[in-house]
Amino acid sequence: MNITDLKIGEKATITKVKASEPIKGRLYAMGITKGNTIRLLDHTLKKQTWEVDVEGTRVALRDEEARAVEVER
Amino acid sequence: MKKIKAVMVGQPNVGKSSIINAISNARLHVGNFAGVTVEKKEVEVRKGEYEIDIVDLPGIYSLHAYTPEEQVTKRYLLEESYDVIINVVDANVLQRNLVFTLQLLDMRKKTILVVNMVDEVEEKGGHIDANKLSELLDIPVILTSAKEKRGVEEILDQVIHIYHQPKCGCKIYYNEKIEEEIERLAKILLKSPHFSDYDQARFYVIRLLEKDEDIYRIVHDLPIFLELHEALGEAIRRLQLEFDVEDVRDLFAEERHALAKSIVMQVMRLPQKESLTDKIDKILIHPVFGLPIFLFFMWGLFQLTFEIGSLPVDYLDQTITNFANWLKGILPPGDFNSVITDGVIPAVGAVIMFLPNILILFLGINLLEQTGYMARAAFLLDGFLKKFGLQGKAFIPLVSGFGCTVPAYMAARTLKNPKDRLITMLILGFMNCSARLPVYVLLISAFFATHSAGNVLFAIYIGGAILGLFVAKILRMVLFKGEPEPFVMEMPPYRFPSLKALAMELWIKSKLFIKKAGTFIAGAAMIIWFLSSYPHHPKLEQNYQQRIEQVQDAKIKEQLQNELAAKKLELSYLGQFGKMIEPVFAPLGFDWRLSVATISGLAAKEVVVSTLATLYAVGAGNEHSSTLVQKLREYVDFKTAVALIVIIMIYSPCVAAMSTFYAEVPQWAWRTFYTIYPNVLAWLMAFSVYHVLALLGF
Repeated sequence: MNITDLKIGEKATITKVKASEPIKGRLYAMGITKGNTIRLLDHTLKKQTWEVDVEGTRVALRDEEARAVEVER
Repeated sequence: MKKIKAVMVGQPNVGKSSIINAISNARLHVGNFAGVTVEKKEVEVRKGEYEIDIVDLPGIYSLHAYTPEEQVTKRYLLEESYDVIINVVDANVLQRNLVFTLQLLDMRKKTILVVNMVDEVEEKGGHIDANKLSELLDIPVILTSAKEKRGVEEILDQVIHIYHQPKCGCKIYYNEKIEEEIERLAKILLKSPHFSDYDQARFYVIRLLEKDEDIYRIVHDLPIFLELHEALGEAIRRLQLEFDVEDVRDLFAEERHALAKSIVMQVMRLPQKESLTDKIDKILIHPVFGLPIFLFFMWGLFQLTFEIGSLPVDYLDQTITNFANWLKGILPPGDFNSVITDGVIPAVGAVIMFLPNILILFLGINLLEQTGYMARAAFLLDGFLKKFGLQGKAFIPLVSGFGCTVPAYMAARTLKNPKDRLITMLILGFMNCSARLPVYVLLISAFFATHSAGNVLFAIYIGGAILGLFVAKILRMVLFKGEPEPFVMEMPPYRFPSLKALAMELWIKSKLFIKKAGTFIAGAAMIIWFLSSYPHHPKLEQNYQQRIEQVQDAKIKEQLQNELAAKKLELSYLGQFGKMIEPVFAPLGFDWRLSVATISGLAAKEVVVSTLATLYAVGAGNEHSSTLVQKLREYVDFKTAVALIVIIMIYSPCVAAMSTFYAEVPQWAWRTFYTIYPNVLAWLMAFSVYHVLALLGF
């Protein structure tokens, strides 16, 4: 499962980041790395943009990137 | 006096600027990094017998540099010489920030860690043990709050202290297996005569294992490159097998994140209270209400700009007129008097009068940035902008475009994909810059009722933005096919804006605006005044003077004087030029005066106002002085005025902006396209609007 499968407010642990460079480097820099805890905060009406909290940092992602982050409840 | 050179480096939004502002008795220099248009802030401060020079480097998330600003910082860290690194981190997100700190510590330079905004953590019931953190990282750690001025002076003491240490303690090590590989490779690197320092070799090897292209380029020309390259490949294979990863970069990322996590667990008691940001975000980026709230903010900003900003205008107008009249009496009559009082002062005055409007707009945009709302707006708008072939981050240059097109072109650098960047830059001109505001304010107050003025201005701004989006969509479909750049953006927590920083920004902005108004615009106004006053026609003047003396009626006298002025203008260089280009603008209902004013707008948009002032107010040198607004109502009809507004909205931005575009885009094909298409589009749109209004009976 990935971020887009979470419910708003739900927490999960990141298991894998499937993105390629340069997106991966950017996700890592924001703290989206294997082992960190992620919480889905919000998404826009049409679920095109997602907001997550990773260890205290809020990050906005597009649908494509959100699907690249695999998580485990 | 001993000199110490320090660099201040940290991730974006950690409050480096406010620390710089909080250092007392510091001299601030603002400039650019050599060869690039990235702002460089530098402070000099004296402490005892030391002179400390601190360079504030642009925010950087990771040494894996991504944006042009990050490239500047990385290059500076790698190539320039300095004594001390001041690494600033945000106490609220210590863990993420420490990941970058660990990358910095790989360099093994003398480093101090500044944990900023610690007050925010403590307010929420958290705590950070600075001694323990210092012990774990083996570098000095200072807890600061720029807001409360806490710990700021101690930074300087620590800089001096560590300057005298022989070298960085830095005892951070990675997994044993990784360190083995690092040591093996570093030994190969040390065979080269270019390397004598083990720490530097170790740093380069780590970067090479992380596939850092900048470092790769440096070692590529070394004689030991072949040996190193082969050993590097083997090391990477071994590590991938050992740790079961696809990429060694992942390995380092996981190592650093795990280290940062364990450090934070040992030194920090996390805040207990739920942050205010959660509660505010529930409303401001609400899926349904978010966008209307955003639009309301924007609408409010423009209403404020127009309603409140117009209050001091009359007062300024009167003051400037009085000053010009006073000076006219003092200076000896003649050409010089006329240059100053008829040419320069009214022209500069016309621009300064609109300063209140421009200041309020800038204040609003700064406020959006400082509070953190700007990122929310980008979040809300990404889905929408994606449809037009743009992305949420393009919102930031697009909004900056409402301030000034020049920084907006530079802000477009954050878009990494060249296509996304070019499309954004090609439509930035449609975002109405603040220099166009004076022109709109003038035309609106001349041709629209006061109660609808705010709405008309809002329509102009929104109209320009919508047009830009459609053009972006067309450009994306016709010129570029391909996916837009990915979108990963930090959403900083909401913060109360710092009054000092707001005031500072506003001061810099207004200084720049007045500087521009005072030199460039006045220069342009003087050229226009010269072109419109020369050559002299003594016979014509004599003829009119005689007729004026002959008539008794004051009204006829005035009429004759105005006629003379009109004739003089018509025969001037400017009049001749205006007549030459009149056929181009004639289908839009423009006379030669409007044509000349439009062309002069290429020098700078606000010059349109001063040109119109010079062109229409020349005949008004008597006691029945009529204002520019009345003159415009007299000479220009409604549909022509609207056509002029449309032209100003769309055609090429000023020469300063155009030069910036040329500097940013090296391809001549794009430069040519950029120079031509807005003007053609502007003419076509103005033509349509003019004729639609004519059909509607205006």
